[in-house]
Amino acid sequence: MPDALDNPDRLFLIIGALLYGAAFIAGLLPLLLRRKYPPALVSTLTAMGFALQTIGLNLRGLEVKGCPLGNSFEIAQFIGWSLVLLYFIIGPVFRIRLLGFFVAALAALGGVTCLIPGLDRPYPHSLSSGNPWIELHATLALFSYGLFALVALVALMFLIQRHGLKEKKYQGIYPYLPSVEKLDTMGRRLLLAGLLGLTAALLFGAIFYLRNSHLVPVFKLTVTCLVWAGYLGVAILQLQGRLVTRRHAIASILLFLLALLALWPVQNARSLPETGAPSSAAEDSANH
Amino acid sequence: MSADPLQSLFVFGCSHHDTPLEVRERFTLSPDQAGALGQNLHQLPGLKECLVLGTCNRTEIYGLAQSRDHLPALEQHFCSQREIQTSDFQKYAYRHHNLDTLQHLCEVSAGLDSQMVGEPEILGQVKDAYARAKTAQSVGPVLSRLFEKSFQAAKAARTQTGINRGHVGIGNITADLSNRIFGRLDQSRVLLLGSGEVGAATAQALAGRGVADISVSSRTLENAQKLARQLGGAAIDFADFPAQLHRFDIVVSSTAAAGQVLSLETVQEALRKRAGKALFLLDLAMPRDIDPAVHPLDSLYLYNLDDLSAIANENLAQRKAEIEKARRILKNQAWTLWLQLRRRTRLTTA
Repeated sequence: MPDALDNPDRLFLIIGALLYGAAFIAGLLPLLLRRKYPPALVSTLTAMGFALQTIGLNLRGLEVKGCPLGNSFEIAQFIGWSLVLLYFIIGPVFRIRLLGFFVAALAALGGVTCLIPGLDRPYPHSLSSGNPWIELHATLALFSYGLFALVALVALMFLIQRHGLKEKKYQGIYPYLPSVEKLDTMGRRLLLAGLLGLTAALLFGAIFYLRNSHLVPVFKLTVTCLVWAGYLGVAILQLQGRLVTRRHAIASILLFLLALLALWPVQNARSLPETGAPSSAAEDSANH
Repeated sequence: MSADPLQSLFVFGCSHHDTPLEVRERFTLSPDQAGALGQNLHQLPGLKECLVLGTCNRTEIYGLAQSRDHLPALEQHFCSQREIQTSDFQKYAYRHHNLDTLQHLCEVSAGLDSQMVGEPEILGQVKDAYARAKTAQSVGPVLSRLFEKSFQAAKAARTQTGINRGHVGIGNITADLSNRIFGRLDQSRVLLLGSGEVGAATAQALAGRGVADISVSSRTLENAQKLARQLGGAAIDFADFPAQLHRFDIVVSSTAAAGQVLSLETVQEALRKRAGKALFLLDLAMPRDIDPAVHPLDSLYLYNLDDLSAIANENLAQRKAEIEKARRILKNQAWTLWLQLRRRTRLTTA
């Protein structure tokens, strides 16, 4: 905590994460106790968490003079932020009940990274700041990760509702969840949107790569392309009617988990500091 | 006049609790009969206010008499009007006085005393009975206040507890399940197999939730056409429905066929044509119409009578668990109202 007090960006991110956690608990307790689910309270707490997370990321962005996507901590925060932002855009349009609850849960989980100091490591500025193409590439890629996170949540909700219907469960969380048809449709559409975002990110990244191929590790390139190919494969199979409903939902969750796992080796495969200096915030954090 | 006018506030009657169906049938009153009986009783000497409540499960007379001494004559009059033997009345009827009358009315209005605990229809029936009595001027300031406050108390109990949570009727449970599968039902097409009462009632409940259309297929085409007209849908030849199965989202089957009407192969073929779109099959027949082997198929949701009754029982148990909580709320409301009524009547008589 003293470390967080010295770094206002981290403090905002920690409080934001706590508010996401509070939103999750505010939704979970009534469901466990079979009381009325409070959508307004969950949304309010999530919105407050989002506001603080935005401030925290903005402060971090000002320090690193670019989009803060330099280490695992920042990436986790940015994915969580994208997820909540997407929820606030998509939620009111499609009115997916309980989505806020699941979003808060995942965002709170992302916030746990605040408690792991090792994740917020110093990093070189050379790759992530300055070049607009790489900034756009990184932002779009992680925004599409936010979309894939939403796809995974919708898929999870689909599987829960489907399980309830198949096993003839009538009480508990099931009546509050949206219909299986709605969740299935949403999952398919969001996956296509995420795929489009990731494709655009890769295209912008390709422009940078063609000019600076020596700066991009082959492993990072391979893993990113594999994630993209995985989502493309799922989308094609779905359009062909060969991967639908339950299997589509399972594939969406597994792919997202693989995509998340892939982030770690991708981060580690980054070029070591060559030209840039570590960010001051991260350096401070490391010194503490 | 008695010293405390409220000492002669009363209700008597019979309900599903202690009265067998064959006896209850003799007590039962239609709304018109209840209104006429109320007016008739109100003419009796010693009865200041009176209201008759008649539903399929209860017949009750609420009143404010000048004194309790008038009540035996009133009961006798009721028995003679309904041609009920006094011994039967004494055996099955219940009576409540004063504060207990208030408590009883609040519980009736809230649906706590109903056969299906928490059912909402009773409140409308009590309101109708009150409106009729008011029109006939057989209720005065005491019963008016009592009934109006009981409606508020019923609403409070329903909103603050879970006594009305979850449906207990097959039609509404089916509609709820359909919502969980398809969301809004305005795009959902329903096929009703068989023209039995249970299936028709279920289709009616789905129609009430705004399904796109309802088609009926029965082994007797005339019956199918007749029911289709009632439901505002179309009739399909029974031999043709398997080929058209994929066009429907919800299939309610309640034929009297001895064997299975929907085989695994027919359902698999329909699902293949639906390309991942969900299909909800509801088997209300005994013996069953739909091959249970279809249950594991992806995108298919099969429910039978046992499943629906298990859900109904679960909901009912949940409602019953809330009874004591609701009763406490109603008791407090009844006590407050009782104090208000006493204060008012004292002021009036002073």
